[in-house]
Amino acid sequence: MKIPLKYNIRNLLVRRTSTAMTVLGIAAVVAVFIGLNALSRGLQEAFVSSGEPDNVIVLRQGAQVETSSAVTRQGLHIIRYLDGIAATEQGEPLVSPEVVALVNLRRRADNEPANVLVRGLSPHGYALRQGLRIVAGRSPRPGRRELMVGERMAERFQDLGLGERVRLAKGHWTVVGIFDAGRTAFASEIWGDALEIAEEFDRAEFSSVLMRTTGPAAQAAVIRRIREDQRLHLKPLAEPAYYEEQTRSAAPIKVLGGFIATLMAIGACFAVMNTMYAAVAWRGREIATLQVLGFGRRSILASFFLESLLLAAAGGLLGCALALPIHGISTGTANWRTFSEVVFAFRITPDLLLRGFLFALGMGALGGILPARLAARTVIVRSLRAV
Amino acid sequence: MRYLPFMLKSALRNVRRFVLTVLSVAVSLFMFCTLMTVLSELERENPSEVAHLRLVVRRATSLADPLPEGYRAKLAAVPGVRLVTPLTWFGGLYIDDRNFFANFASEPATLLAVFPESTTGPAQFEAFQRDRTGALVGRGLAEQFGWKVGDRVTLLGTIYPVDMELTIRALYDNDLDDRGFFFHRDYLEEALGRPGRVGTFWLLAEAPHQLPRIAETVDAMFRNTDAETKTETERAFQLSFVAMLGNVKSLIVSICTMVVLTILLVTANTIAMTIRERAREIAVLKTLGFRRRTILAMLIGEAVGIAVAGGLVGSLGARVLYQAVDLSKLLQGFFPLFEVTLQTICLALLIAAAIGVLSAGIPAWRAARIPVAEALRRVG
Repeated sequence: MKIPLKYNIRNLLVRRTSTAMTVLGIAAVVAVFIGLNALSRGLQEAFVSSGEPDNVIVLRQGAQVETSSAVTRQGLHIIRYLDGIAATEQGEPLVSPEVVALVNLRRRADNEPANVLVRGLSPHGYALRQGLRIVAGRSPRPGRRELMVGERMAERFQDLGLGERVRLAKGHWTVVGIFDAGRTAFASEIWGDALEIAEEFDRAEFSSVLMRTTGPAAQAAVIRRIREDQRLHLKPLAEPAYYEEQTRSAAPIKVLGGFIATLMAIGACFAVMNTMYAAVAWRGREIATLQVLGFGRRSILASFFLESLLLAAAGGLLGCALALPIHGISTGTANWRTFSEVVFAFRITPDLLLRGFLFALGMGALGGILPARLAARTVIVRSLRAV
Repeated sequence: MRYLPFMLKSALRNVRRFVLTVLSVAVSLFMFCTLMTVLSELERENPSEVAHLRLVVRRATSLADPLPEGYRAKLAAVPGVRLVTPLTWFGGLYIDDRNFFANFASEPATLLAVFPESTTGPAQFEAFQRDRTGALVGRGLAEQFGWKVGDRVTLLGTIYPVDMELTIRALYDNDLDDRGFFFHRDYLEEALGRPGRVGTFWLLAEAPHQLPRIAETVDAMFRNTDAETKTETERAFQLSFVAMLGNVKSLIVSICTMVVLTILLVTANTIAMTIRERAREIAVLKTLGFRRRTILAMLIGEAVGIAVAGGLVGSLGARVLYQAVDLSKLLQGFFPLFEVTLQTICLALLIAAAIGVLSAGIPAWRAARIPVAEALRRVG
């Protein structure tokens, strides 16, 4: 015979303060869990969704990131006309040699300096990156010291607003456009013309070359061809693979997040246990009465276990609600590989909310099982006599 | 206090509840201590006196751009500068990028003079100076990889297109950080075809009060040249890396706040429950003649005792754990010292005491005010 659910719900409502505080405690843990996961997910997504599947990025052999790579004009000349590289309507190869540099700029919020990645693109560079939208202004014209800036960067750093002038290495440049790069790594960059940027930062060589291939088979062939050429000393990779490698900078945050969430969960389990043990102690007579009425031990165990799950479920739902507002808030941290600031946004997905809820249920289960067993083992006579 | 045995007995009456409450406070304060230590370690100041005499000169545009070798003579001529040593981050890989450690191209003759906290045996140091392909390695790093003097180590170039084949000639000790790897910049320069470039220059000043003036002089000297400089103290340089982490500080502070609030809720819950159950007892105490004030003090004292017990377990546990476990090995040398300071422990205990007072406060006050007859009538 099963004890009706109403009994559990009523009990939780009767001891209102106790229930409320435990629910809030669980909610806090769930909110922190979701928040930390949203942070690391946002950081990771800033990289993983960068790069087009058919693109190939070419770096110097041994270089890990564009900021420490160099491709000579000789090398560029050789790889530009390889078979398998897509061409524009005019027949020009869709190849963009690019120059990448770092500049120190101050954040608007706290006036602290941070490194920002400046990318000089060749004219085809824009066509090679399709997910981009210009939200204000226009793209920079070569020869005019003009820049285009990611939307979040314009908000986050001084002097990067539309129309503002920012000092790079040798002088001032004007921001003529703002673009929305969605959740890609390009959202944390400033763009200009490749040759002008090379001049500004005294670069004799390009940092990297980005190319579009005609398809997966062509891509594999091009990569193999470049890698096997002894003269070149270049490292080609599919563009998505290049960015995926950089997601490793999100690892420490993930570890920290997991550590904090686990510790808080353990604390919360103790809280649930405490509440449920107190409930069992308080209701000693009631449990004995239930047993007299004919409810078996298993039903009592199930009933109390369910009560802790209900507590946890309420806490889980509240925690999800508390965490939701941070979705979309953008922030930034250092990408230790490129040594520049990467701007990203907290990302809460439905499956993360589900995981938070299940996490809460888990805490409720772990915290509730022992008290439920105690309740089931109540000796009728002793409990009825207890005052 | 003569009621201490009574308070102890009351607290321990329900052992399971006592243990669980203490444990949940302990776990939460353990985490609090860990997070506070992360914060303080990130900004840990080098206690040595010499650290207050050092400045670092780097390229104004960004740390990733080099300075010309020729700046060295001009820097040495600045009044107040005792020594100059060039240091370039090589960023080499040892086998693969999971074995991360800092490696630099340096000038042996002046390196240890500017960084005297690192010490090595004179014979070893001479061997390092004499061998152009020699390396000076921190003892902690050498132990991690099982290197001995005489071992050959190859660093694969990531920033520079050359690999350095080196032989370990000397090991150095340093209380704060013994996980560095230094070799001759002459060797790197030659391999690169003598471009004459340096990553940073480190200056040792004569006296601490001269630092700001030296910094200004150096930056003014190179303003409007092709390679403008940015000079700052070693401490400012260290803190700029922490600043790169962005809002880490506020993130940690907000997590700590949430943690504390959660503990408060949990403990308040338990203690309130306990006090409500004891309504009868409190009535009996009142009939015996105990004043309301005394009863309040006993209840709050008990709560504070439980919370502080949890605080002690959590904070001392953290200190002991981090002393026993060498975190730097797990985190690849990121936190060479991870010490839970006495300050942090005291802060944790203070929070615990506050939690005790706050959780017991209202329930205790209410319980002490219930009229005796009504309380005695209460069942359970």
